[in-house]
Parts: sequence; C-alpha cells; structure tokens
Amino acid sequence: MATDVMIEAKGLSKLYGPFRALDKVSFQVKRGEVVGFLGPNGAGKSTTMRILTCFISATGGTAKVHGVDVFDDPLEVRRKIGYLPQRAPLYGEMTVWDYLQFTSDMRGLDPSTFKSRMKRIVEVCGLAKVLGKDIRQLSHGYRQRVGLGQALVHDPPILILDEPTSDLDPNEKAEVIRYIQEIGKDRTVLLSTHNLAEVEAACARAIIVSKGRVVADGPLSDIRAKSGTVRYLVTIHEQKLYEGSEAYRAGSTRRPPSSDEVSEALGALPGVQRVRELPTDDKAHAFELSGALGGDLREAIFQLVVQKGWLLLEMRRESQTLEDVFKALTRGDERADRGRPLLAEDDDAAAVGGAAAGAAALASAADEDEDEDEDEDEDEADEGDDDAAEENGGDDESDGDDENDDDGDDDDADDDAKGKKDGR
Amino acid sequence: MSATLTIAKRELRANFDSPVAYVVICLSLIALGFTFFYYEGGFWQANRASFEMLFVYLPRGLSWVVIPVLTMRLIAEERRAGTLEMLITLPVKDHQVVLGKFLGTWAVVLGLIASTLLFPVLMFKFWHLGTLDWGPIFAGYIGLVFYSAAAVSLGLLVSSLTESQIIAFFVTWLLLLALHISGMFMNRVDDPSLQQILAFISFDARLVSFSRGLVTTRDLLYFASIAAMSLMASFRALERRKWS
Repeated sequence: MATDVMIEAKGLSKLYGPFRALDKVSFQVKRGEVVGFLGPNGAGKSTTMRILTCFISATGGTAKVHGVDVFDDPLEVRRKIGYLPQRAPLYGEMTVWDYLQFTSDMRGLDPSTFKSRMKRIVEVCGLAKVLGKDIRQLSHGYRQRVGLGQALVHDPPILILDEPTSDLDPNEKAEVIRYIQEIGKDRTVLLSTHNLAEVEAACARAIIVSKGRVVADGPLSDIRAKSGTVRYLVTIHEQKLYEGSEAYRAGSTRRPPSSDEVSEALGALPGVQRVRELPTDDKAHAFELSGALGGDLREAIFQLVVQKGWLLLEMRRESQTLEDVFKALTRGDERADRGRPLLAEDDDAAAVGGAAAGAAALASAADEDEDEDEDEDEDEADEGDDDAAEENGGDDESDGDDENDDDGDDDDADDDAKGKKDGR
Repeated sequence: MSATLTIAKRELRANFDSPVAYVVICLSLIALGFTFFYYEGGFWQANRASFEMLFVYLPRGLSWVVIPVLTMRLIAEERRAGTLEMLITLPVKDHQVVLGKFLGTWAVVLGLIASTLLFPVLMFKFWHLGTLDWGPIFAGYIGLVFYSAAAVSLGLLVSSLTESQIIAFFVTWLLLLALHISGMFMNRVDDPSLQQILAFISFDARLVSFSRGLVTTRDLLYFASIAAMSLMASFRALERRKWS
C-alpha cells in the first residue's frame, strides 16, 4: 500500500535489564525526507535504528517501515531499507566487489541487475579505484563508502545510516555528507549523528533524543527558534579608541576600555539577557550577548560604542545555532555521566510529552547557554569564581558552590563569565 | 541461490581467503601421516591391511585442533566485529545464518576428511600393497561425516554463546576432549548407570564401531541428534540478542 509515512515509531520502549534505553519514542519520517537523528552517546539513537532494522526487538510500542510492522514481517522491512550500522562493519578479507556481490546475492538480485546497479553505486560512492582491493586494506573513509554502497545495492526507498561519519577526518566527512546529499535526493533517509554541522548540511528536519526520549522534532529552523533567544557577537578594540569621536576630542575618554567596563556597559543595555566574554587575542575584547528573539539590539550596541568612543571591530547578530539547542536539550545526559546534579527533574510528563516536553526543558535549560567547555569549567573554576568576584568589587553574591548552582540562572552565568575575564 | 547457501559459500571462501585453512589442512595431513605410520609402531608393525587407527587418530586431530580453530570465529568474531549486525539486517532469517555458517565450515572439514582418502587409494590402488577390505573404510568415512557434523555444530554453538574467540576455542576443545575420552573412564567408575552414560556419550566408542565396518542407526542418530540440537541451540543463542 502506498503511503507517505515511510518510517513510523509509536511509543517505542526498550529495556536492557533495569536500564531504560528507550522511553516511549514516537516519530514519523515521510517520503523524500532526510531527517537528522541527533543525540549524545547513549541517548538511544542506535537502539532505535536497530529496532527499525529488526536487529533487536522493542520492549514496548510499535514501529512500521514502509507500512510494514517490524515485528510482524522483518524480512519485508529489511528488503525495503538500506542500513549502515555504526563504523561500517564489513568483512575485511573480501574485496569490495565481492562484498557488494555478496550483499546483492543475499538480497536476491540477479547478476545483470547487480552489474547495472554497480555502475551507479561506483559513481555515487566513488569506489572505482578500490573495487578489486581487500576491504581490510581500505581507509576508514573508503570503508564507509563501501558501507553506503552495500546499503544502496538493492536501490531501497529508505536508508538508515547510523553515524556514517564517525571516526572520519574532515575531508572524508565532507565527502560522505556529499554522498548522503546525493543519495537523499530521491530517498527517505534517517541519519544518526553527533555532528550538527552535518545535519545542517544534509537535513531539513531533525529529531533530537536524550535519555531515550524525543526532546525535539521538527524543521531545523523551528528547533533553532526553540531557545527563544538571539545571539550577538561584539568585538571592541582593547588598546585603541576611535579618535574621531566627540568623547575623544573632548578629552573625556582617553583610556582604552577594560573588559569589565565593556561587559558592564553592554549588560546595562535594555533587552540584554546575558553577557559572556569570549576568548580572544590581546588586542580585542569579544563578548557574546543574548537578547530576545523578536528584538534587535544592534542599534543600541552601536550607539553605546559611539557614545563611549570605543573602536568597534565586529558586530554580528545570529540565531541560536542547532548546536546550542542540542547542548541545552541534552546537557542532562552529560552531567549525569559525570555524576553531577541534573538541570531538571525527569518527570514522566516530560517523557510522554515528547517534543513539547523537550521544548519546555529547553526553555529552562537554554537560559544557561554556556558552551560545554564553560560548563565543564564550572567546577574547576569554583574557587576562581570567588576570587574573581572579590576582585570585581564584591558585587558577586555567588557563594561559589557551583556544584549546587547548576540551575542555570543568569547571575551564575554572569559570574562565570566574570571569573573567566579576570582569569585572562 | 538461497541466503543459506550464499552464507555457506562466503564462509567457505573466508576460510580459504586466509592462510588458516591451508595451514590447518596441511599440518593436519602431515601429523596424521606421522601418527598413522609411526606412532607406537604404526601401520607397518600391525602387519595387516587395516585403517582402523586412521579412524581413531583423525577424529581426535579434528576435535582437538581443526574444529575448534575453524569454529571459534564463526559467530563470536562476527559479534565482536559488528559484522553480525550487518549480516542479520540483510533479508535473512536467523536459522539461515546458523545453517549457512554450519554448512560452510562443515564443508571445509569434509574436504579435509576427503583428502585423507589419499591414504588408502594411493597405498592399495596405485602402489598395490595388498588386498584391502573396502567395507570398513567406507563405513569409517560414513562415521566421520556424521561425527564431523556433530563436532562442527558443537563448536558453532559455543561460538554463538561468547564474543571471545579464545574462549570459544578452549570451551569447544574441552567439550570435544571430554566427549572423546569419556569412554576411557568407563572402567574406572563403579556406578553402572554412570558407566552407561559415559559409554553412551563417548565419540571414540562409536567411531570404533564404524571403523570396524559396523554402521548402526543408533550411532548415526546419536551424531545427527547432537548436530540438530546444537544448531537449534545456536539459533536460540543468536535470537537472544533481540530480547537481551
């Protein structure tokens, strides 16, 4: 039966003993979509893919591929999909040609069909030079290409690719993404990866899973907008002033600004939610500001810079990146791995609510939009923060106990930023 | 070609694509030659045209070296390397995977067994060393065919229960060793029921019957049952991944 829904998961759950790997995961992938399946390690991406490819069974829920239930007719499901597991496990002792012929035989293709398909596969995957080589002699990038080739040998309508770019160098990653873009023109593709740039390059839609739950599902633009904030990058010269400014000519400002001065002034602008200093060289102060999604702070920033007589080197406004949203949505996983308190309690409502619950979680988590490095630095910089606060004039009321301060309020984030600034 | 035969063909080729099969077969034939002709006087001192000892030494060599080496990687290595996931997510049923792997490996062992036919053929057909009673020879080879099916399937079962080839090798080796030598302990135990059990499970005791020209349904069924049960257990072990 022809259907537009090519992959459908409904309330998928999977238990490994007491460990809940998947918790009521539901999503759909429609015909012709290339969907990024995102999540940190252990979030349940591979488990979901293994259920969809009938390698393992779900503990609860149902899944259909091309309208066929994975439990009722696994062979038919496998005929409809091309699957590339993580790290492209292939038989190293076989040549590329023999391996692809083996998969073709397993799929019941006749030799003439196989040969005609091979022309296209060799062209799309770039395998012409290695067809006669043993797979064990190939680089990781070529193995991934062979893996993609075997997934395409029967010209499936659906492709499921589990981290096809893991362990590849940047050039190889770019190549594999190019293949996926090429392949995805006329197929449904579910692409699992950690690499958000790849998703942005190859997919129009993403599903983000965390701790076995879907926390976001939708077009990339919608997911980016979930944070409700816009980011501004402002860079001010650290050693020079704008000599043509009125303030300079009047002699009221003859000293280049300190980072604290810039930070305080930017932070005082109406609409600025948070200010964070970014690492730079010795010649500039770079700051990242967060503002509300609907507003535009550039005018106010420019006026401030002119009024102060500072020398503006760069100002840029950009939406929250997918990476920022991803980190905000999945940070709890990483913190749990490190034995830290979670950002938010994992109530059952969040599990059931899927994407909606994810958005709610995001709303609380996105406020503390530090990057991961900063996040990791929090603990290490505890004492440094205290010292920094004192040096900043004692306006920091943080008690320095960041182990318990992970609820992400803006003040703490500011304190961290100040700590960093003074540490420079 | 069915998926089972495709897998069997790949297994057969995998053995001969690496030097393992060649080394194992050559060394086995050399070792068998020395043992058959020189061990404890060997064939010459027996002073009669009998190949009974061939059917004693050959299965021991197969069980203690060849079969553990060939079967240890069958599923254990695929599971460790992740190729099992690639294989099983092709349109193939689990029992076809098990059967294909069994047939591919059994074919290698049968090839090795068949190559030992050179001994009687060369000695009594080409070099005319005397008159040979071919009945026990054929019976012995029938026994070897059934025995090898049982031994290979036991190795496959062990391989399906672990991810470590080393563990698979030693467990298979120990299992087959026990099944071969259990008959030796028959006279050392007093319990008659235990004696019966030891005699029943002994590979050697059953293979001796074949080598003397006695082909019994009981012995054939014994080996066939071990093979069938081991293959079914391997299938279950492979299927276990779905629910673990």
